[in-house]
Amino acid sequence: MTAYDKPRPRIGPDNEPFWHGCRAHRLMLPTCRACGEPHLPPGPVCPFCFSDDIAWQAASGRGCICTWTIVHKAWFPAFKGETPYNIVQVELDEGPRLTSRIVGCGDQKIQIGQRVEVVFDDIDEELTLHGFRIVEP
Amino acid sequence: MHWSRPARLPGASYCARTGDEVNIDAAIVGIGCSTFGRGLPDSQLRLAAVAFRDALADAGLQRSDVDGLSIHLGWPLGVDYDRIAEGFGLDIRYVNQSWLHGRFVTNALQHAALAVSAGLADVVACVTAVSFTRERGFLGGPGDIEGNREEGGTHGEAPPYGLTAPAGGAAIAMQRYMHLYGATSDQLAAVPIAMRNHALKNPRAIMKEPLTLAAHQSARMVVDPLRLFDCCLISDGAVVVLIARGDRARDLRQKPVRVIGMQGTRSGRDEFIFAPRGLGINQQSARRSANRPIDLEVFAQAGVARENVQGFYTYDAFSPLVMFALERFGYCGAGEAAAWVQGGRIELGGALPINTSGGLLSEAHVAGWNSICEMVRQLRGAAGASQIANAAVLQWGTAWGDSFILAA
Repeated sequence: MTAYDKPRPRIGPDNEPFWHGCRAHRLMLPTCRACGEPHLPPGPVCPFCFSDDIAWQAASGRGCICTWTIVHKAWFPAFKGETPYNIVQVELDEGPRLTSRIVGCGDQKIQIGQRVEVVFDDIDEELTLHGFRIVEP
Repeated sequence: MHWSRPARLPGASYCARTGDEVNIDAAIVGIGCSTFGRGLPDSQLRLAAVAFRDALADAGLQRSDVDGLSIHLGWPLGVDYDRIAEGFGLDIRYVNQSWLHGRFVTNALQHAALAVSAGLADVVACVTAVSFTRERGFLGGPGDIEGNREEGGTHGEAPPYGLTAPAGGAAIAMQRYMHLYGATSDQLAAVPIAMRNHALKNPRAIMKEPLTLAAHQSARMVVDPLRLFDCCLISDGAVVVLIARGDRARDLRQKPVRVIGMQGTRSGRDEFIFAPRGLGINQQSARRSANRPIDLEVFAQAGVARENVQGFYTYDAFSPLVMFALERFGYCGAGEAAAWVQGGRIELGGALPINTSGGLLSEAHVAGWNSICEMVRQLRGAAGASQIANAAVLQWGTAWGDSFILAA
């Protein structure tokens, strides 16, 4: 088994609960107790009302594709064997958008508006990445 | 804020919100360029020195006349202001520095204009120098410190998923734009084809062969929907632009090119660097709305109508950015740019020529400053085969909403 040599998330105080949640196969969103709004990317304060009172809540894990691309060029050597591969932005049902990838189907099925739900990929002892699979209507 | 200056060039500027007079009193008095090319052996500092000497000669100024620096260079892609001041033997009393990134082109020129208007410096040198061919690994690769920051870089980078280059940000925005408005890659091709046609008239331009629609469509896909020719050149070169207050500018060798209006960088949750407002990328709202007066304040400040602008100059790192900038500044409505750029409208001889020296797509990627030099040549009437007849008012404006208007 070869070591995982792709870039890892840069985990710090603001986004640690997000990636910790992925380890537990839960998609966690920082949510403001004062105004009720969830936000991404995770920040130290609510961007809507500037409150410090942030609680982490599990998201439904469902949403829809709002944009996508297929990457053909290998900017990173570690991705060279995987081109072309997809990238999507998913608008979660809770509102915030998350950049991720679609797994479990051919890239030709990726369309804006397509319903998706979260899946988790355990990379190693420290890292679990989120992905999404297409929900057939 | 008001400044009073005893001697101003004619043409007052006005604040779009308050109607108050804004005393921007700044003019471009000299431009200088190094050779533009790929794989140039010179250091960035040497390229900058060549451009610096060229700009001083153009303006008829001495090195000792420059007392301000506005640096669009710096870590992580080049040296900082102090190395330039030390290396070129300058004695500086005002500095603005950003790092080498398209976001900060306009900002670098604006700070120079503000500094001379406020009397913080008499002559500010805007300096940029790039050695992109030597620094390739930085551009979206493992060496890209900027794109690999916490939560990624500014173009929507998501390094763990392999979205690591600025082109990726333009691609996700264009993909959504195509979905919303039915725009096509064929239509997008009109942008790089126009830039190439401009480059063919410009002996300094790197690209020398015509670009056809067929060649655009058959070129390799880089990051869908961006094909090879939708992405700017990776090149080397330097530009220095000298800015002085109006009273100083009048006595110099060249006819001054006045900065008559400016508007600053737009930022916030409804902004994504490579999209118009409301396109629905990252955390933007997904509702386009008509431009507000504040989105167009550069025109009010300059006291010119959009219809008076004879040429438009923009940071064409990727083809979609040209269309997004046109919508930002109201040259066409939301979703209309793909059709609007067809039929030669953005080429020399068309209604609104864009980047008449070939831009980043076909002249050279000198961080946009190659196009700013071209604006100055146009307004001096010295643009040769690319001259816009009677050019008097030109606009620089970017996809992220900042702008300045220059006048002869």
